[in-house]
This record gives sequence, C-alpha cells and structure tokens, in this order.
Amino acid sequence: MTVQQTNIPSEIESDDDFRARLRTFFTDHHPGKPPRDPKERLAHQKAWNATMFDAGFSGPSWPKEFGGMELSFAHQVIYQEELARARVPGPMGTGLGIAAPTIIRYGTQAQKEEFLAPMLRGDKIWCQGYSEPGAGSDLPSLRTTARREGDEYVVNGQKVWTTQATNADVLFTLVRTGTQESRQKGITYLLIDAHAPGVEVRPLRDITGGAGFAEVFFDDVHVPVSHRIGEENEGWPLVRTSLGHERAAGAMNQAAVYRRVLDELTALARERGRASEPLIRDQLADFEIRVRIMRYNAARIISDILTKGEPGAASSVSRMLITAFEQDLHEFAIGLLGPAGLLTKDSPHAVQRARWLTGFLRTRASTIGAGTSEIQRNTVAEQVLKLPHDPGMPPR
Amino acid sequence: MSFSFTAEQEELRQLVRRFCEEKSSSEHVRRLMDSDDNRDDKIWSQMADQLGLQGLSIPEAYGGSGFGPVELGIVLEEMGRTLLVAPYFSTVAIAGQTLALSDDEAAKQRWLPGIADGSLTATLAIAEESGSWELDSVETTAAQAGDEWSLTGTKMYVLDGATADLLLVVARAGDELGLFAVDGAAAGVTRSKLDSVDLTRDLGRVELDGVSAVRIGSGDATEMLVKATDLILAAFAAEQIGGAAKCLEMAVDYAKIREQFGRPIGSFQAIKHKCADMLLEVESGKSASYYASSVVAAGDHESSIAAALAKAYCSTAFTHAAKENIQIHGGIGFTWEHDAHLYLKRAKSSELLFGSPARHRERLADLVGI
Repeated sequence: MTVQQTNIPSEIESDDDFRARLRTFFTDHHPGKPPRDPKERLAHQKAWNATMFDAGFSGPSWPKEFGGMELSFAHQVIYQEELARARVPGPMGTGLGIAAPTIIRYGTQAQKEEFLAPMLRGDKIWCQGYSEPGAGSDLPSLRTTARREGDEYVVNGQKVWTTQATNADVLFTLVRTGTQESRQKGITYLLIDAHAPGVEVRPLRDITGGAGFAEVFFDDVHVPVSHRIGEENEGWPLVRTSLGHERAAGAMNQAAVYRRVLDELTALARERGRASEPLIRDQLADFEIRVRIMRYNAARIISDILTKGEPGAASSVSRMLITAFEQDLHEFAIGLLGPAGLLTKDSPHAVQRARWLTGFLRTRASTIGAGTSEIQRNTVAEQVLKLPHDPGMPPR
Repeated sequence: MSFSFTAEQEELRQLVRRFCEEKSSSEHVRRLMDSDDNRDDKIWSQMADQLGLQGLSIPEAYGGSGFGPVELGIVLEEMGRTLLVAPYFSTVAIAGQTLALSDDEAAKQRWLPGIADGSLTATLAIAEESGSWELDSVETTAAQAGDEWSLTGTKMYVLDGATADLLLVVARAGDELGLFAVDGAAAGVTRSKLDSVDLTRDLGRVELDGVSAVRIGSGDATEMLVKATDLILAAFAAEQIGGAAKCLEMAVDYAKIREQFGRPIGSFQAIKHKCADMLLEVESGKSASYYASSVVAAGDHESSIAAALAKAYCSTAFTHAAKENIQIHGGIGFTWEHDAHLYLKRAKSSELLFGSPARHRERLADLVGI
C-alpha cells in the first residue's frame, strides 16, 4: 500500500508550529464520542486510526517509511500532550506497543512492508499471544509447539488472556521450537494469521461480565516461515523490545488522562455532598498528590531523556505508581457512592453508567496483566537496585 | 516544566555530597549528638569560608551568592542524607529565606551578611504550646511604646531556638500579624532545649517576657509569612527526601551482604518488594521536591500547592523508608549502635514539625478547591 503523508512538512518546524498544526487537525477531525455497541465502537476506532494515518498523524516515533512521523523526542511529548488535550484516542494498541517495535528492529524489509503500515492504520488488528494456561509470569515454560515442515511451521497448543482476540486479524506469538527443557533458548517469535484454518478463538468472560479477552486454540495451524521474526529458537530476546522513548512520552498523556478522571471523581464527591467530610477530603487530597506526582515524574523522565539521553530511575517506578493509583481510585469511588456504587451498568439507577464499579473490577487486572506487580517489583529490585537474583527463579 | 539540573548544579551536588560524607560521618554525628553542641565550629566555618553554603541563597547585595530554592534544595538533600548536625536549616533555610523576603532594607542589611558569612545563627519562632504552625494560632503579643516594641509569650518547637543568635518571632501587633527580631541574649528571654526524640536536631522553648524587639517590615506580615512558609516547606521536603534516599541505600546495601538460609536476604521477594516500594516513593518524592523547589520562588498559588504536596509526600516517604530500613536490618537495626534509629527519629520529627502530612493534605484540598 502507498503511504501518504500529506501533512508532513519537509522543513523542521518549530515546537509552536507543530503544536498548532496538531491542534488544528484534532479539532477539525475530532471523531466524537465512541458508540456503545462493541462492533460500532471498533469500526469507529478503526476509522479514526485511518484518518490519523492518512493525514500523517500516526506513529510519533515510527520511521516515515512505514507511515510514522519520525519525530524528535521533544515533538513526541508535544504530540502526547495534544492528544490528551484534544481527548481523542491515541493510535496505540497491543500490536503497536509491543509487536511493532520488535518488527521495526528485527523484522526483514519484506515483513516491515507487509505488516507495519496496515497495523498503524488500523486495517489489521493485532493481538498478543504470549501467555498460556501454565505460563503466565513464568513465560519461558510455554508449551505451544511449532514443528518445521518445509517452508511452513505447524502450530499446536493454546494461548489464553488474549486481549481483543475476537477482533484479531494477526496474533503475534511465542511458540516452542526447541525442547521443553530448553526453556527460553527454544522459543520462536511467530506471526499467525488469526483467520487461518485450525485457529479457534473462544471469548473468555471476565470479572466485569464482558469478554475483553479470549482463549485461542491452535490445531495444526500452518504458518509460513516468512512470518517468523528473527531466527528459530531465538525469539526470547525479542520480547523485551519496546519503544522506550515513545512510552516515556506517553507517560505525560497518561498523567493527563488520570488528571481528568480524578477531576470527575472530585466533582462527583461534591455533587453528592461528601467532599467536605474530613476523611473523604483527605483521600481526595491524597489522590490529588499522586496524580500530580504522575505528571512530575513524567516531566522528570522527559527532562532526563532530553538532557542525558535516557530515562532515570523515575521511569521504572511509574507503572507501579499508576496501577496502584487506578485500583485505589476506583475502590474509593464505589465506597463514596455507597450501595449505589454496587449497581451495574444494566441498572437504570446506576451512577454514571456504573463506570466506577466497572473500573474497580477492571483494574484488578492492572496488577496482573503485562507482568504481575510482584514480577514488576522483582525486576525493579534487580535491575535498578541491583539486588541479588532469586535462586528460586530461572536465570534471565 | 523542566526537571533537569545544569552541569553547575550537578557539580554543587557532588561537592556538597563529598563534604557531608567526609564531615558528617556516623561517628561525627554521634559525637555531636552526645554533646551539648548543635554544631562543630570548625565545620561550620569551612561550610561558610570554603564552600559558601550559608550564603548560597542570600542575595549578592547582602554578601551571599544569590542562588535560589533549587540550589538550596540540592544542598539540603545532601545534608539530609548524612543527618548533618548544624544550625543550617534554621539559619539559612528558615531565617535567611524569611528575612530575604521582607521589604525591610535596614533589617536585611543588618542581619543577612552575618548569616551569609557564617558569623550569625538565626531561627524563626511560630508555633506555641498548641503545637500548630498555623499563623492564626499565634498568641504571642507585641506591644508598642514609641519606637520600641516589646514581646510577651511562649514559643515552642523552635528549631535551634535555645542557641540561635537571632530569633525571628511572629507575634500579634493589635489586629496585625508582625515579624520581630529579638536578640537571643536579650533581657527577658528565657530559653531551654526541649528533650525530644531527634538527637540530631535541637528544638527549643523560648519564653518572652516583655522582651525588647525590632519590627521587621511594616503592616500585616501574613502574606510574607505564607510565602516564607512555602520556601521553608520546599526546603524541608528536599532534606527529607535526601534522608529517605539514604535509608533506601542502606537497606539495599545490607540486603546484598546479609545472608540467611544460605543466600543474601535481598534475593528474597519479600525484601525485594519492600525495596521496590521504597524506590517508588523516593523517586516520586524527588519529583515532588524538585518541582516544589523550582516553583516556590514565584510565591503564587502554585507555590503553595507544590510546597504542601512536597511536604506531605516526602515526610511520609521518609518515615516509611526509615521504618523499612530498620525492618530490613533486623535485630541489628533495633540497636543503638546502628544508625537506622537516627534516621527514624529524624524522619518522625521532620514529619510532625511544620505541619503533619494530614494537615498539609487538608491545606492542599483547600488550595485546589476540593
């Protein structure tokens, strides 16, 4: 497909010009509120992604060659700020955040051309297939196998907790090509067509009552070898690749989002006449402190990158800060609402479509998904504080 | 919003770090702790003569080097790491900054050069028997007779109050709140050291019985004192997060070498998780402290929010880190010989002085309109 970049100027533009250009675009093309129906909502998000992509406003850190903006870090920050300010969804998804950086770094030219732009445009939905029923935090124990047959792999096994798998077109997976004992030395990174014969997706109802993720079964699924990223048995090191700087710039966006959520909660407390109660005020003030610190941390990470070239220790703790914050915030909110906070979105008496109850349930996953908070703390302790490795855990 | 330090600021940090590590060793802190002195005269002179630390945040016109709260924050963060025993916080961060804010040229000319060159120590007395730093709780009275003022009342929890050469005293002058200068040795001043938990910092009680005083500035001093409080809180937060960072380092260093069940305790998740949580608070506290230091000079609404936030957060982080440091050290951490208790005591007293975290959250709620 041809990548059109109608809005990218050939000259380097000033911060102010760039900001103004973004602001105009987001104002002129604002997608409006997403529909409630899941199918319509997906179509809405896809259309918005395509609009951004076609105008050259997608993939802030991506190479221009694949439809990205190839921005300086300072401009990435401005991009995230304006995105939050405009209240439009960003062009991020599981694939964009995790698979794309891997393909950009390790993929062949043919793979980059085939996969990147359609992913960024939203034409293809990508899903992560790492976790298995027996391999969550201990990912290297995974059991889904891929057997080489000529120029194809034949895949058998099961993945689980696959977010949005019911909508997926492509699954980026880790599969075992070596022996079970080889652990991370026998793992291969494979892109699997979600519509290929032998792939079965079963929605998994979650704690919220919705089906945000699914189980995926592979029964003799044929995958071309050309859809393997990196070498056979050498997929493991690819897992940790990420767009570090884009993520750092995104921290500012996240801080802005939680700022808004807290303002809405404070307004709710006031409306219900609870904001003047000392304990409620103390808790709201504590959230206020944490949400401001989120912004200060983000600013500090950004300053560090701009002056020293890399983020400091503050970047390693921001996820821990955010996950605890969103859990505490939602739990506090349903406490504030009392029994009304228990009403589900189906009840006509629910407050604000039960968003706080849903949030309370949904954020249970915040300290589980993408590495549990326990694993996260281990990693921080070992990598940042250099504490000794736990001999009970496999070597890195 | 920028958080990066300049090369000069980083140099300042390294300089002060080396100085504090050398001059404020555990042995040294303990020697001063066991004596009646709240400083080592030789070190105090070196700080002034060789490093110019007392004059750091004092305007050049009064003999200082004219730096601001950011540089002062760097110095205090480093001093907080080693529990430096000296009347630096009271003299420079409290009295120096308060005096520099006043519009009283004569007062500034009279006292600031002495603070800057290390020849004068000073402090500020706000709290009284109630233990509150709220300006509206001040009951000490100032009476005027001609050009003379005389103060009557009792001040409590005054940092280095029993020894400071110059006492800045907040008192009621009729309907107004005034700031007054009192010679520590003046007739009618009775002062004593309070026996309190933090042996590395002196708290004093100051009784004023018709003491002759000089009024600083004219008119109601409330606005000026609120600005001064923001500066003091930001500086205090910096000192506390320095202490918290040191507690984390002590805990991590010990967890790497102390073995139980045949392996370093730092390899156990329970210890790792405590340390990771401390890191979260130390790093967030640094962000809060650096932000507060960078905005308090403006003296606006945002300054008060940032200062209250930093004090509330850094106090809590320091006390938490100090407690965890003792826990991770196990039995040894509970002994008098180990320094862990010195940090806990400094943390707890810093937490409750100049307003508790709960009080500052309450102020923050007011300031942001919750």
